[in-house]
Amino acid sequence: MTFKRSIHELQAIVAATDLFFSERCIGPALRLPVDLSIEELFVNMVKYNRGTHHDITLRLDWIGDAVEVSLTDYDVEPYDPTRAPELDVDAPLAARRPSGMGLYLVSKMVDAIRYEYRNRESKVTFTKSMVQGHA
Amino acid sequence: MLDIRYGEDRHVLLIGRLDAAQAAVAQAFLDDVAPPCVIDAGGLEYISSAGLGVLLKTHKRLAAAGSGIRLVNVNPHVHDVFRYSGMDKLFSVTCGT
Repeated sequence: MTFKRSIHELQAIVAATDLFFSERCIGPALRLPVDLSIEELFVNMVKYNRGTHHDITLRLDWIGDAVEVSLTDYDVEPYDPTRAPELDVDAPLAARRPSGMGLYLVSKMVDAIRYEYRNRESKVTFTKSMVQGHA
Repeated sequence: MLDIRYGEDRHVLLIGRLDAAQAAVAQAFLDDVAPPCVIDAGGLEYISSAGLGVLLKTHKRLAAAGSGIRLVNVNPHVHDVFRYSGMDKLFSVTCGT
């Protein structure tokens, strides 16, 4: 599936994920971490990969007992979201900022995540299983 | 979609999905809320970092006025997001029964 480079595509992404989950009878426990990780990675591509006008490709697969999701952005500079800085979750209120929370949450909520960059294509793939992890 | 409005006892009702596409709507509403601010999140199905940012900004504004926000009736999956982000250390986040 492909989606325009707009946060207003999130509703269509949620609808596509709804269909994927319902067709495979996947339980609700995986839904929030998968939705959140897709949104954070998609929004990150839309916000920071400004030099391209290509649509973003989203792929969802059910492999064994895990959901595997990949997002691919085309004709972009490399940016590895798996190397995002740690978030200081113990910082006092005055020091807390919204920035940096998204990719940090992804790192905490998925079981595995990997980044590939080839021929100016950025591809992020994560998995979330029924048995691993808390969420 | 997101629905945000006042309920009984002037509690703010947060219903649906608070994502990046809905954050501006939530922020516009919460910018007009005066303390004390209790947010009933019993109908909140989903929140992302964009939604957390809205609540963080609102809490900072209201805390400066003497009283921050308090979230009640949060479902366990949504509560995980507050816990992982450390936001539950900044303001009260209570799960529903």
